[in-house]
Amino acid sequence: MRADALLSLAKEVLASAGEPEVELTVRMTERGCARVAMGELGQHMELVEPQAVVRVAQGARVAETVTSRLDRDALVEAVHKTAAAARLVPEVEGFAGFTGAGEPTGAAPSRFAEATARATPEERVERLAPVLAAVRKAGLVSAGMLETRTQAQATATTRGCARSYDGTFSVFKVWALETPGAGGAAGYGGHAHRDVTALALEAETARAIRVCKESHSPASLEAGNYDVVMEPEAVAELLEWLASIAFGAPEVEQGSSPMAGRLGETITGEGIDLVEDPLSDDPALGFGCPFDREGTWRRRVPLVDKGVARAVLYDRAHAKRAGTASTGSALLPAMGQAGGVGPTALSLGAGTAASAEELVAGIERGLYVCRLHYVNGLVEPRRAVMTGLTRDGCFLVEHGRIGRAVGNLRFTDSFLEGLARCDGMTAARKAIPTWWSDDGAIVAPAIRMRAWRFNGASQERPKL
Amino acid sequence: MADPALEAAILWLKAQPDVRYAEARLVDETGERLRVRDGRPEQVTAEASRGVGIRVLGSKTWGFACTADTSEGALLATARRALEIARASGSVATRAVALPEQAAQRGTYATKLAVDPFTVPLETRLAAIDGPARALRTGDARLKSAEAWMDWTRQHKRLVTTEGTDVSQSLTFGACGMQVFTIGDDGRSQRRSFPTFQGGDGFQGGYERIAGLGLDGATDRVKEEALALLTAPPCPAGNTTVILDSGQMGLQIHESCGHPTELDRALGSEISLAGGSFMQPSMLGKLRYGSPAITLVADATSEGGNGTFGWDDEGVPAGKRALVERGLFVDYLSSRETAAALGRASTGTMRSESWNRPPIIRMVNVSLEPGAGGTLEDLVADTDDGILVSTDKSWSIDDLRLDFQFSCEIAWEIKKGRRVRMVRDPFYRGITPRFWGSCDAVCGPAEWRLWGITTCGKGDPVQMMQVGHGASPARFRGVDVGSSS
Repeated sequence: MRADALLSLAKEVLASAGEPEVELTVRMTERGCARVAMGELGQHMELVEPQAVVRVAQGARVAETVTSRLDRDALVEAVHKTAAAARLVPEVEGFAGFTGAGEPTGAAPSRFAEATARATPEERVERLAPVLAAVRKAGLVSAGMLETRTQAQATATTRGCARSYDGTFSVFKVWALETPGAGGAAGYGGHAHRDVTALALEAETARAIRVCKESHSPASLEAGNYDVVMEPEAVAELLEWLASIAFGAPEVEQGSSPMAGRLGETITGEGIDLVEDPLSDDPALGFGCPFDREGTWRRRVPLVDKGVARAVLYDRAHAKRAGTASTGSALLPAMGQAGGVGPTALSLGAGTAASAEELVAGIERGLYVCRLHYVNGLVEPRRAVMTGLTRDGCFLVEHGRIGRAVGNLRFTDSFLEGLARCDGMTAARKAIPTWWSDDGAIVAPAIRMRAWRFNGASQERPKL
Repeated sequence: MADPALEAAILWLKAQPDVRYAEARLVDETGERLRVRDGRPEQVTAEASRGVGIRVLGSKTWGFACTADTSEGALLATARRALEIARASGSVATRAVALPEQAAQRGTYATKLAVDPFTVPLETRLAAIDGPARALRTGDARLKSAEAWMDWTRQHKRLVTTEGTDVSQSLTFGACGMQVFTIGDDGRSQRRSFPTFQGGDGFQGGYERIAGLGLDGATDRVKEEALALLTAPPCPAGNTTVILDSGQMGLQIHESCGHPTELDRALGSEISLAGGSFMQPSMLGKLRYGSPAITLVADATSEGGNGTFGWDDEGVPAGKRALVERGLFVDYLSSRETAAALGRASTGTMRSESWNRPPIIRMVNVSLEPGAGGTLEDLVADTDDGILVSTDKSWSIDDLRLDFQFSCEIAWEIKKGRRVRMVRDPFYRGITPRFWGSCDAVCGPAEWRLWGITTCGKGDPVQMMQVGHGASPARFRGVDVGSSS
């Protein structure tokens, strides 16, 4: 189902329901997911995810219904039931009404690729077959996924807002493993693009195999502060948590965000620019819908500019309470959670290094980290203290060169303070999809941070 | 929950020569989420979702497709699509999936409840959380923000398989809690939650469970603790004795026992999101996972548990089985396919988030059997030097579920059998079998409580699941602790 059909449906529902204050967002996501494990294509699925979010206001009293039923009659009934619920609830302080016809829009970046939208189960298998064969030929075990996704979204309000969007997304993740589930060396490769034909399957598979082979027989390393170079995948794990705790107006209002009360202050290094960049027209870095769940056109928002906290993100209600305008950052409900407010396209600015190896050259003794695992950013949110472990490749750096593999280590450190000690980033950046959201991706370069705190020694892991 | 279209789809699949097994699962789900914060409603959301997922085992491997259109025509088309996917994947399979037969199951199952939460007026439900949330923020300017929530989900589902299984279930899940944030003069923030951390407060049952939670009666204590934490000293670093209260035990079990005993992880099926497991099949019956005080069970029959049901999503009846018996690793959470790889029978843990996801191995109620340690206060009195920690704040564990670090909202130092002072920002860390091996006391049945995690994420694409954990407080010796601040 394409977005123009969804928009027509939404308008028809609003006209038929007869309620004066309604906002209706309708989305259809269709996903083909070919999942590899233990060297076999074990789970291959086609998933449909219909979702309509109805909000009805009675003055400043607001209720909401989320439903998978996208037929006209079901949605009209949902509007009526939501209207009845809205009459019973207290007023929402700062409710700003629904988006109107006259609110700004912009040029929507092209984010649709026919090849992705048309991908069949047979095509996904055909693309994955060489991946499975290459990892097998290397004497390793493959795991991962190839996903092709089509997303159509439309928002209409009784105040005349009407928006629609069609997009596609494809993502490839591959692991080359020494053993299938028991640990051992592992290498990872990944790539996201709107066009499945543009995915670098062969190169990323080769990378996963190389990292796995180089990770064989890791050495132990003591806990301590190490200069690190983190690849974009590792940086994105930290940025995901920063996105979750720092930039949404609710966390700022609540006082738990590291940005709360600090706008205008230097919160990290002067080389750090963090931008919510949802309208990027770079085909390798831009993903997702150009308007938010309220129909507000998204916009580029510099959040941290040269290390200084500059802005946070708003939906309409939080913006009104703060005396500002929505940044188009209202999120749809997902993963069993309410729709909140926050970034979908957090982007860390590029540096000047030609490669990660150039960053490594500036380290006397440290670590090269490919990925992180199970990062948690709730340790001390006001300082953005996070803990987690390395995964899928961690190497000792000595005298400016990447050396032997070391066992995985646990870190616990403030990411913002770490970024204050960041003195190098690559010019090249990569888009990393977030695992909990369909809406976008994190964009990051490889970075070098001085004295990152590893509080767990790698030799602790294998000893039982 | 009769729906002849399901039978039609299964009959068609049964007639296909290369279909070895197929299941059609109709899920009709309704829910409601209420959240209030700082005197205003943050969320008043009704939810509805309905559709059918069809999983087919072809000559070699699986295919899955789903539809929100439950007409016979749509289901037949979905069945065809699932088979096409299985055939496509089978073209690159090097071996055929082995799936032991399951005796046909028939029947119904429903959550036991006294008061249907969906019959309670919306205003009553909102008032039940708005009062405590307002009270939490009253009386001190440092009480920056307070919120409370109440969620209800009812899931009707019917499973029909080519083996003749036809079972219908109606599960009613609830969750309710509150939390307050304080900010001190130095800009530091603290949080206290009740009855445990947010997302750990789930159950199955009716509205009668809300009164039993005691939100109103707990507000004074919760905000006093949140304020006291602002000036409490940081938790001293060192290696000491740690007592985990019942709620924190739930999280500890979840991360360091529940997940590593999932057989799909151990075999390598979940690398793409979750990781593997240090508990490998070769260790069954040999690995000393914990001390003799530790018996952990997977019990899908616990009354009121988030992981309680009649049958799992591939038709295996619910049961209770030991995973760790007196410290020894004895079994996995498994599916029919994964158990067969070890020559075992499924432990009945295949569950799916909804109609548009295939079932995968999930925790049921993974619980620690009560011990002989008396009450929590008995345990404190029996401890010469250590800390008592409560209410998880952050959680992290490695991809094999060995190296964990959990921080909590609050702790108390224990000296000579008494709680002597509150300390802030505590964390403890360890290596799973060493940690469980250091347990020398588990409190008795009077302290045992069944908690429910509402948002356990697993799978790729990720699926959220309700799972349960019962536990009494327990004591662990020689644990590394410190303060995250």
